[in-house]
Amino acid sequence: MSGEEDSAMYYSDDDCGYDAYYNMGDCDVEEVDVKDDPEYFAYETLRVEQVERLLNESVEALSNKLHITPSLAKVVLLTHEWQLLPSAVAYKNNDWIQNLLNPSGGTKLETIGSKLRCPVCFCPAPPEKFSSIACSHMFCNECWVSHFEVQITQGVSTGISCMAQDCGLLAPEDFVLSLLTKMPLREKYQEFAFRDYVKSHPELRFCPGPNCKLVFRSKEPKAKRTICEQCKTTFCFKCGTEYHAPTDCSTIKKWLTKCADDSETANYISAHTKDCPRCHICIEKNGGCNHMQCYNCKHDFCWMCLGDWKSHGSEYYECSRYKENPNIVNESVLAQAREALKKYLHYYERWENHSKSLKLEAETLEKIKSRINAKVMNSSGTWIDWQYLVDAAGLLAKCRYTLQYTYPYAYYMEPGPRKELFEYQQAQLEAEIENLSWKIERAETTDRGDLENQIDIAEKRRTTLLKDFLDV
Amino acid sequence: MVSLPRRIIKETQRLLQEPVPGISAVPDDSNARYFHVIVTGPDDSPFEGGLFKLELFLPEDYPMSAPKVRFVTKIYHPNIDRLGRICLDILKDKWSPALQIRTVLLSIQALLSAPNPDDPLANDVAELWKVDEAEAIRNAKEWTRRYAMEN
Repeated sequence: MSGEEDSAMYYSDDDCGYDAYYNMGDCDVEEVDVKDDPEYFAYETLRVEQVERLLNESVEALSNKLHITPSLAKVVLLTHEWQLLPSAVAYKNNDWIQNLLNPSGGTKLETIGSKLRCPVCFCPAPPEKFSSIACSHMFCNECWVSHFEVQITQGVSTGISCMAQDCGLLAPEDFVLSLLTKMPLREKYQEFAFRDYVKSHPELRFCPGPNCKLVFRSKEPKAKRTICEQCKTTFCFKCGTEYHAPTDCSTIKKWLTKCADDSETANYISAHTKDCPRCHICIEKNGGCNHMQCYNCKHDFCWMCLGDWKSHGSEYYECSRYKENPNIVNESVLAQAREALKKYLHYYERWENHSKSLKLEAETLEKIKSRINAKVMNSSGTWIDWQYLVDAAGLLAKCRYTLQYTYPYAYYMEPGPRKELFEYQQAQLEAEIENLSWKIERAETTDRGDLENQIDIAEKRRTTLLKDFLDV
Repeated sequence: MVSLPRRIIKETQRLLQEPVPGISAVPDDSNARYFHVIVTGPDDSPFEGGLFKLELFLPEDYPMSAPKVRFVTKIYHPNIDRLGRICLDILKDKWSPALQIRTVLLSIQALLSAPNPDDPLANDVAELWKVDEAEAIRNAKEWTRRYAMEN
């Protein structure tokens, strides 16, 4: 227990120290007891130079340990998640890496006088114009460069391998850069390589914000809230999408896919449409009358029992006798689809509704700000006196955001006591949030103490729910 | 006309002077990067006795990129689809600039001798090949007779 606390403290110290040292702004660590905040997450913000320094430390450590070039160490680290020990072990045991230590002798090239014939372009060239990586497969430098150019144009950098057939040995960075002279391509190569290094490092994440160059590092990568101090993008450290507590990464992905694709449309179709019993074209019932005429084949039939309308005639209301008849399996499929649609719509409508409320409340915040401004200008209190209102609006957004993300969680929950508890807490949170929203909209007539009390209650409900159900 | 890389000239010369048994590859009169290929169905395969036409095109960055190859003659084979596209690793991710037209065509000939229904391109064909190999082979022979033995 105390060990956990210690390590967390260590991170936060580390964070502050790092930030203060590089003058990167305020420390992100909240000043609450770490154990009490289910959303607490220790991470640091790094600029490109800092990431390079961090990577270079690992590279140097491995290259010193194994007495190999830094460039080669980079290849090994890249393929082993930047873990020093596994990289060192792999380097000593792994076959393809062993090849680096014991070159396989290479291929004998055809000689023409004092020249060698390149097996790719078939052109003769003096031996000094030939190169190979550790596997000793020799090719002329011109061919190597063409190979690099084609690969880089396709977005490949650290994945560039030897040109020989069935040789997958990766070309180290220094080899590529020693031959590649065209500036734009060199830059592209380095840019792609940097991207590969960060993506292969389990502790590092690029900021998902557009055009943002910052990188985040956490020694314990989890599905927790990460906020970019530069572009203010908020995201889940683990999956890089919008922060989604208490829902987990795979569930939110499933939910968003479900909302985006047309699988529910298919359910809608089976719930609101039937096939014409004669020509089988799909028909949507858009009115109240159950006497249907197919627009395609002009067949008259009964919507209820799908029987021929002629046999109904004026006896429409006795159609019930058909109810016992219809294909039961078919009926139950329709009923199931209708039920599934009803369930999905229940959660989706609330999810959508809170998302819309968040937008509306953002407008409210702007109004509050301008009202505060007007009041301060009229000497009705100082700016700091009204600050609690802005804080309240901020907290409201935070609570509603969490509330929005409780709906996908609940949708995928198995029925049972845990779901009952969850939905109870969800309802409590929802009630307090609506109370808070109501009070903020009527802030001028609401007692400040009352409002601050409400803020406290709402945040407590939110934290309680997350503590019980945020499982990352 | 754009000058051809020495590699393509050399490969073409060798293909014409020392052709691979069962394979002929002739460059088009108007485009030296386009080859008319005929592969003979390998003995002891359902394609025996057939002459299969293919087209082979060397892209601009050949040999850094793989040649594009396609069957023109219809063929019943689990790794070749209705459009004649071939599922062969060396034409995709396993391409190496050290491979040549000759080696590619040899690999295609080998694919005719040893169809691989576990890595299918034509799903219906592959399915039958796995469920009822005898029936699939009968189909392949029938297609060979119908489409690859015009003369």
